[in-house]
Amino acid sequence: MSVTTTELAIAVQSATVSSRRTSPLEQEVVDLFDRLRVRLLRYVYGFGLPVQDAEEVVQEVFLSLFQHLQRGKSRENLPGWVFRVAHNLALKRRTAISNASNLAGLGFAQDADVCADPTPNPEDQSASNQTQRRLLAVFRALPEQDRRCLALRAEGLRYREIGQVLGVSLGAVSISLSRSVARLAEVARR
Amino acid sequence: MEFNEAHGSDAHISDEDLLMAIDGELEDEESAAVEEHLLACWACRARRQEIDQAIAVYTRVRQRNLDSKIPAAAGPRALLKARLALVAESRPVPPPAWRLGSLLRGGLPPLWLQVAAVAVIAALATVIAGRWSGMHRGIPGLAALSVPNASLTPGATILASRNQVCSGSNPNNRPVPASLQRKVFEEYGIPGAKSVAYEVDYLITPALGGADDIHNLWPQSYSETAWNARVKDALEDRLHDLVCDGRLDLATAQRDISANWIAAYKKYFQTDIPLEPANP
Repeated sequence: MSVTTTELAIAVQSATVSSRRTSPLEQEVVDLFDRLRVRLLRYVYGFGLPVQDAEEVVQEVFLSLFQHLQRGKSRENLPGWVFRVAHNLALKRRTAISNASNLAGLGFAQDADVCADPTPNPEDQSASNQTQRRLLAVFRALPEQDRRCLALRAEGLRYREIGQVLGVSLGAVSISLSRSVARLAEVARR
Repeated sequence: MEFNEAHGSDAHISDEDLLMAIDGELEDEESAAVEEHLLACWACRARRQEIDQAIAVYTRVRQRNLDSKIPAAAGPRALLKARLALVAESRPVPPPAWRLGSLLRGGLPPLWLQVAAVAVIAALATVIAGRWSGMHRGIPGLAALSVPNASLTPGATILASRNQVCSGSNPNNRPVPASLQRKVFEEYGIPGAKSVAYEVDYLITPALGGADDIHNLWPQSYSETAWNARVKDALEDRLHDLVCDGRLDLATAQRDISANWIAAYKKYFQTDIPLEPANP
């Protein structure tokens, strides 16, 4: 009989957690996880991380959030905080994978996100029309920071939050986004 | 804002301001000015539509391609809850030797295995604790051995990376508090044992990410057998060097020393007898 990872995880969680009451703080973090997981995963995929690693990064983010709140630190704009931590952890993870791959002679590309965000190669191959393919080509040609800005905006972050995640000014975010959208608009207009 | 009436009636709104207006990032006054201009300017309205269309296409392509990669939430959610419970209770993470990865072959990614094993160990600990509740935790007559009793001392680790272990800030074996030493002696059925005769030792040394936890401690004889505490200290130093030199991964070191430290000594020193002086 095969057991899926999900079933195993649920069984394990039930065995260990059901015997104790979930604290309000734990519940708050789980609620935020429910709200933000998909958006975070989409953003983290953009760093070229495998699905498994992206999911681990997201788990680490919410464990860090729990410890952050446990220590009584700021609750201001928690979604922005979560994206900022995810950004930093994803960068670290990508560097670690890259170093490991280089050591193993596998040659992990530092700019793997060029292929992974917004669409990975397999999906790219099945792009259904020319507009999509042109759009992908334009997107991949954007500087990394422009791609990050666009991805964060697509996930609903305000300019100020994007600036905080990427460590750039509000003006830089605005210029980056308008530059990227202008290029995408050229594709959409054709 | 780039747009300014001073430029005359032919002035248009910049892409940057149009986008900021669409995104709700302009101040009220600026936003009102943009809206007023758009009412009168077909070119800017057309440009806004182009920008809107570009955003729509990008968003559609992005979601279509990325959402299909996202696994169902139930499993990761359950894992997070389990991990939060462990963090909340500050439970140490069991060592790799106790992870399900050694029991299940393939198919499961490392995170699932790690957390699943943590949770299973925690569940087992709960069962054992429940069975023994109200009873003395120790096993009368169980003497300290060269290797620990696996049910009492399975080993436990903290979540530590190789960098942390090798940073130099990671502690070597810390002195075990006397109260905890007494508990360990009681657990092994030798209450009142002298600390000069036994080292209450970490199965997985903190220098390799071992936890300050009773499940990672046992009374190791200094002189009872050839395989004593001083020999194990030599193994710990060897493993630490190998890990920090990049010749051995941390998880393997933790697994080997917790599974059977004597076998690990033979493996890493390429010998069947202790090389270090066996007597104090």
